[in-house]
Amino acid sequence: MSPLAEVRNVLPRTAVRNVAAVAVVLAIAPLPVLGSSYYEGVLAHMVIVGMFAVALNIVFGQTDQLFLFMGGLAGIGGYGTALLTNWTGVTPWLTLLVASVFAALVGLLVSWISARRNFTVVLISILTLNLQLVFVEFYGGARNITGGSTGFPYSYLTFESVAETLGVSDEVILYYFALLILVALLYLYVWLVNSRFGVAFHAIREDELAAASIGVDVVRYKVIAGTLAAFVFGFVGAFYAQEAGYILPSAFSFLTVDVLILIVLIVGGLRTTLGPVVGAVIVVAIEEALATYLTQWRTAMFGALLIFLFLYFRSGVVPFVGDLPRTVGAAAERARALLE
Amino acid sequence: MVTVGTMAALAIDGLAFGVFLALLGVGITLVFGLGEVLNLAIGTFTVMAVLVATWVARAGQGIVVSALAAVLVVGAVGLAVDRLLLSPSYRSEGEQRILLGIFTTLGLTVFLDGFLINGLDLSRFAGALVIPASPGSYNLSQNLSAITLGGAVIQGSSLVVIAVGAVILAVLFLFLRRTFLGKATRTVFQDERGAHLVGVRPRRIRTLIFVLSVTVAGLAGLLWALGHNVSVSSGFQFTTFALIVSIVGGVRSLSGAIVAGVLLGLVNTYANFFVGSYVATVILFGAAIVFLLAKPEALS
Repeated sequence: MSPLAEVRNVLPRTAVRNVAAVAVVLAIAPLPVLGSSYYEGVLAHMVIVGMFAVALNIVFGQTDQLFLFMGGLAGIGGYGTALLTNWTGVTPWLTLLVASVFAALVGLLVSWISARRNFTVVLISILTLNLQLVFVEFYGGARNITGGSTGFPYSYLTFESVAETLGVSDEVILYYFALLILVALLYLYVWLVNSRFGVAFHAIREDELAAASIGVDVVRYKVIAGTLAAFVFGFVGAFYAQEAGYILPSAFSFLTVDVLILIVLIVGGLRTTLGPVVGAVIVVAIEEALATYLTQWRTAMFGALLIFLFLYFRSGVVPFVGDLPRTVGAAAERARALLE
Repeated sequence: MVTVGTMAALAIDGLAFGVFLALLGVGITLVFGLGEVLNLAIGTFTVMAVLVATWVARAGQGIVVSALAAVLVVGAVGLAVDRLLLSPSYRSEGEQRILLGIFTTLGLTVFLDGFLINGLDLSRFAGALVIPASPGSYNLSQNLSAITLGGAVIQGSSLVVIAVGAVILAVLFLFLRRTFLGKATRTVFQDERGAHLVGVRPRRIRTLIFVLSVTVAGLAGLLWALGHNVSVSSGFQFTTFALIVSIVGGVRSLSGAIVAGVLLGLVNTYANFFVGSYVATVILFGAAIVFLLAKPEALS
């Protein structure tokens, strides 16, 4: 059996097909707007936000560890890649990995301490929120290292030679590269939740004590999820900075990154494979529509959206659409019963 | 060489900052202790009070009228928030309730920040109702003269913050210890079911305390703005400080919050002077992290 067929056997067909469909749609998406750097930028931003949301879906969706230092971890990747390259002269593609591993270690430590000491989701969220504030304070305050609040131009993860050969903009290549990683992450997610990890995650979410009593190593699985997600936050953080073209501490602040990603994941649907992507498309589209017509109302709208979502729409778009046939069917059934 | 006078002046400024933090921390502690809602919007109410007072003062009113108007507006907004937004949190249980409270108040912060920066012009619909945009930073400076005391130059505004802040805290304690409503509040604090059995309605008490806490936060803002500039973006920063104070104080202990507020205010002010503002802020957050790791049971 070829490895690919083996994967097909392990993974549920619908999930694999859905991810493939999304990949195709997103691969075609830039074609109508090719050459417009504005739309290319928006699409790239969308994919990057989607990747962040996949990572949150792993750590928060699967293991209930609410990481509220996503911006800080992304900053480790963003600043780390640039600074390590500046200091050592090594290619940013290598320092990107080093910085991401560092972010992963931070995630590992936080996850390990929290899991070992039975921290509740609330405690983890407040702990990581405090870490987030320390990180951003550092990015803004350590002026001689990070350039402080003036930041610096960010052009490390470039594809100039590829872009020149193909005759397209750097932005487009960045988009397709990010899309490739996004699709890989989505398949990783599908594999994760359908493997023994997924079973363990589910058991831990249901009842930690019961899971431990049947031999699930709770600490180990939480730490795996936390480390993996932290790695992704760091890794994607560098592309986030690259897409912006300029690195600033405020780009990694709690209100900029963490709130956005939370909204994205909840809009799309927590614990759904495609939720992060659907959420990213919807939220970034709203963001851009507001940016064009109502720039100054962006923050207020996001706040209102956050309240509304958590109070009334916690299931998200993906489960909502998934349930639509059943909801409509039930309504039709009721209507028929009434008529008879 | 740092003189004794400078150290004393720093102590007064630090104490003033500490009292300011204590007022906010007490607000978080009261609301969390009563209903497990972590009010992440408290700093926004602080800023709102300063903005309202500025608008009224600009319209030609004196500081007392401005402050009164600010307190009334903040209290009214607090009441609306409690009735409209917090009920779903109180209806859910346990961890779900805490999470829902965090997200609701977080969304409220983001919403109100965006709203206050832009303002709102309703003059087309409702006469002269215009909420001005507030993109800059504002203060309520009353030209309080500095006092020179044995070589130490002490800011008049700091002394007012300490004096009035201490009175507010004392009144708050008296209210909780001596009045019927205060005792009812403490009953809910200690045992919600028991409170129910003796005829106290927890939801009413929660509303009362939420409005009280944001009003106190608003008063703290008015005091602080006597000597400092406040902008809309200060709001979330105040919230994070209040959160730290509440955590270090034990999250459910009022006297803990006051001690923690004063302590952190002093530490922050001295650190600010000697090692710079960014390290000082890192020390504050670091203290919160250490306390979370040392005493996690406070928050669960």
